[in-house]
Amino acid sequence: MEKSKLEEYANHLMFRLSDEELASLEDDFVTLSAQIALLDKIDTSDVEAMVYPFDVKTTYLRDDEPDHVLSQEKALANAPKQRQGHFVLPRVVK
Amino acid sequence: MNISEAKKLKEEAVIKSRMMAKKSNEKLNAIVTLIEDDKCENPNGKLANVPIAVKDNFSTSNIRTTACSNILNNYIAPYDATAIKKIKEAGAVMIAKSSMDELAMGGSNLTANIGPCHNPYDLKRISGGSSGGSAVLVASGVTPLALGTDTGDSIRKPAAFCGVVGTKPSYGRISRYGVIPYASSLDHVGYFTTNVQDAALALEVLAGRDDLDMTSSYEEVLEYSKLLDYEYKDLTFGVIDNVVDVLSDLEVKETFLKLIAELEEKGAKIKHIHFDNDLMKALFPTYFIIANAEATANHSNLDGVRFGVSKEGESMEEVMINSRTEGFSSFIKKRFVVGSYSLFEKNQERVFKKAQKVRRVVCESVLKELSKVDVLIAPASGKVAPYIQNEEKQDELTDEYLIAENHMVIANFAGLPSITLPMGFKDGLPLGVNLTAKAFDEVGMFKCAKAFEDLTGLKDLVKEV
Amino acid sequence: MEYQMTIGIEIHMELNTKTKMFSGAPYHFKAEANTCVNEVDLALPGTLPAVNKEAVKKAIEACTALNLKIDPLVRFDRKNYYYSDLPKGYQITQQFHPIGRDGYLTILDANEVKKIGIERIHMEEDTAKQFHLHDLSLIDFNRAGVPLIEIVSRPDMHTAKEAALYVDKLRQIMSYIGVSRARMDEGSMRCDINVSLSLKDSKSLGTKVEIKNLNSIANIETALNYEFERQKALLENNEEIMQETRRFDEKSQTTVLMRQKEGSVDYKYFPEPNIFPILIKEEEINTIQKSMKELPDVKLERYQNQMGLSAYDASNLLSDKELSDFFDEAISHTSNAKLLCNMLLSEVQGLLSKKNESLSTSKLTPQSLAKIVELVDTKTISSKQAKEVLELALDGEDPLKIVKDKGMKQNSSEDEILKLVLEVMDENPQSIADFKNGKDRAMGFLVGQVMKKSKGQANPALASKLVKEELAKR
Repeated sequence: MEKSKLEEYANHLMFRLSDEELASLEDDFVTLSAQIALLDKIDTSDVEAMVYPFDVKTTYLRDDEPDHVLSQEKALANAPKQRQGHFVLPRVVK
Repeated sequence: MNISEAKKLKEEAVIKSRMMAKKSNEKLNAIVTLIEDDKCENPNGKLANVPIAVKDNFSTSNIRTTACSNILNNYIAPYDATAIKKIKEAGAVMIAKSSMDELAMGGSNLTANIGPCHNPYDLKRISGGSSGGSAVLVASGVTPLALGTDTGDSIRKPAAFCGVVGTKPSYGRISRYGVIPYASSLDHVGYFTTNVQDAALALEVLAGRDDLDMTSSYEEVLEYSKLLDYEYKDLTFGVIDNVVDVLSDLEVKETFLKLIAELEEKGAKIKHIHFDNDLMKALFPTYFIIANAEATANHSNLDGVRFGVSKEGESMEEVMINSRTEGFSSFIKKRFVVGSYSLFEKNQERVFKKAQKVRRVVCESVLKELSKVDVLIAPASGKVAPYIQNEEKQDELTDEYLIAENHMVIANFAGLPSITLPMGFKDGLPLGVNLTAKAFDEVGMFKCAKAFEDLTGLKDLVKEV
Repeated sequence: MEYQMTIGIEIHMELNTKTKMFSGAPYHFKAEANTCVNEVDLALPGTLPAVNKEAVKKAIEACTALNLKIDPLVRFDRKNYYYSDLPKGYQITQQFHPIGRDGYLTILDANEVKKIGIERIHMEEDTAKQFHLHDLSLIDFNRAGVPLIEIVSRPDMHTAKEAALYVDKLRQIMSYIGVSRARMDEGSMRCDINVSLSLKDSKSLGTKVEIKNLNSIANIETALNYEFERQKALLENNEEIMQETRRFDEKSQTTVLMRQKEGSVDYKYFPEPNIFPILIKEEEINTIQKSMKELPDVKLERYQNQMGLSAYDASNLLSDKELSDFFDEAISHTSNAKLLCNMLLSEVQGLLSKKNESLSTSKLTPQSLAKIVELVDTKTISSKQAKEVLELALDGEDPLKIVKDKGMKQNSSEDEILKLVLEVMDENPQSIADFKNGKDRAMGFLVGQVMKKSKGQANPALASKLVKEELAKR
């Protein structure tokens, strides 16, 4: 796994990795390959991927009635930056 | 004190608990936030005046909720997790938010941003994780009850290392609403107690359908604490031979096999189960790949925009990148990269979906064997709690590690109820046994656990520091 | 060189529900920022989605109206990417199992009926709204989580007109059955268009260009016509069409480059683990379909075949849901559909625009309009008198009361009108002479005088007849 590829992956996840982290990450990919090899020993032809612990279908749907809203104050309580009732970021669209 | 003792002590229980919490924390480092002002809201509830510790991934209204990650260091939840609502309705009193592996992604509690959590039986050893803080607070007698979560064994492994009872009920038995996720299809809400009776009672309070969690179960909630009567001859235990065979610590093996023999002497039926060994070795990779992938997506909301620690930047991207770079530890960032990699369109079939398919093969195999017994039984770990300092990178690919240290993930794959309880000691350090029952057969699980507990006599073990 | 356009359209529509797709927070279009959110919409840690029953119902209605095959097992997936308006860092959508597939709608293009294929409809959630100041962006999460359906057409359209008709038809259908307000100007309906050019009769399609920021149907037509010319010019010059995203610029009435398409983005789609597959039982689907509001095409046929309205009048009524709803209510109180329709389309509309009002803001009720129609139909009042009554009825007065108070009953007595006719004839000898000399308009003048003398109460048809007879005698 090339360093530049790993940097690209990190970038797509919206963070940077230091050189040390990148080096260590290469080991993690070696481990991943070994893990995939262990998986490949299991015959999964004609097996459907399992998404949930149980193959259960639900029939529940939520009634379309307003039940719960946060006040503007509570909604913004944890906002790193706020202005006039809005969350704030540096200008998104140039 | 256990739950009934706490209820008898009434307000004294909480006072004692808070005192012990403060006194022991320097040594244990199990507490993230001390909760000084919580009160009993229901003096007639099933958990009236019972002090409770809450793993710091449960949203607690107006109280800091950090999941032991720097990115949430300043986050104050504006709502309560459903599990919190339920314990409050039952009269429990919150004492502390407890330490955990960062974002629940670990098995040692060494990755908490507040530093490692210490095992009360030997402060130089790990508590296990990710629900380490909760395990420790119960094991050291600070609280008789503590909430945790279990995605791969994060309640049941620390329970073994700390000599307490760790319960992970069936998937959807307890609502996950308000619990900061790790891997949505594997996460379970559970808890620690010092005995099986208390574990059964706690489930009565916590279990139940929650419309806010579309994976929560409609199964009837029973009076579990009143359904613990058993006769050994009516119980069938299925020993997972794969685990026993791979144990290198012979004392652990001996302790376990001796107890199995004693069970049989008492009249219980013992079956020996041998799963395909390659399948057993595939358990950890299956778990790791699925969990990392789901976790990466789950934590995409941690971006420094609406809450949490936020770093400056010249653009939206910079704010997000700076916040996430500084907010997540190296350990987490690396796991995210691997998780994301397995979800790329070109890799999904080979990696993520392959793991999901192996999950199904495991479940089919397990359910087949489980249909012939009441519970699967095996040592929760092949070792006592390792040292904190010597926590070198485990050789994650030896058979022993793969099988003996990861078999409990079977219960996460198939959503089965599973419980760890003390089975003995080695060099003064606790050993635990794990029992796993059929989905929604918590009654059967608790009966077998009670039978085991009565056999060993190991209950209400507390190691004060 | 003759070129052909191939057009595919993706439309996002906000569903007309009270709460969000996955949370019980209410949604009000003009609410103050961040007052229609709860912890789920803000994607605070630990939150989980709870699927809105009404949103699913409306999605099923949309599929039914557009003839799609409905998948009764509702399943969701995650579409993963990072953006400031996407709180979870993923959108819950239906990538692998859309709720409906393989449908169509028909458009009428210059008397030709054309079928436009619809590939799929799926449910998803809307993003937050952002406002951009000089150096900051402000984010309002009220809209985050609002239920959407995405309607993807097949590339079956080949002219700007067809595209405009398709979008208009879709708008009409969805607003009629109450699935969405479907207002492009409000943002409850958004269009993205993909267009490519190829040589006529060529089997292969050209490079696809995406066009965004189309806020009206007129803009869609303009944009596509412009694109056709732009791409044609490039091709004729042997230049390459770049795969890009362009936006419609209102000011210049052209499309302008927004960004080049750099390869496709990998959204890492995978099934949503927090929502078990939801089974909608067949009886439930049937119930939903049976209680659906009437489709505009069905209404059109009913207006023409059952009520004898002209195609022109019928489609005018249908052009506005408010209008046809009003008509449908009024027609249950009178039997003269044609008269009602005429009155509604001309007199009522005329008075409303004069007063700068709309049907919903005026106090005219379907019942009172129906009463007026009945009064005219039974010749109790003349149509001229009806106009007077109508003006007052628009302020909420009861027509029967108006007629009574003003003593407005129409005079249809031949003797009485004849008396007036003879008076008018005596008073206007010049007009009689003019008429005899070929000025036909003189007769109309005389009839007008009779109406004036009767203060508008004379039966105009009768007055006309008698004037004509008298003129013939002289």
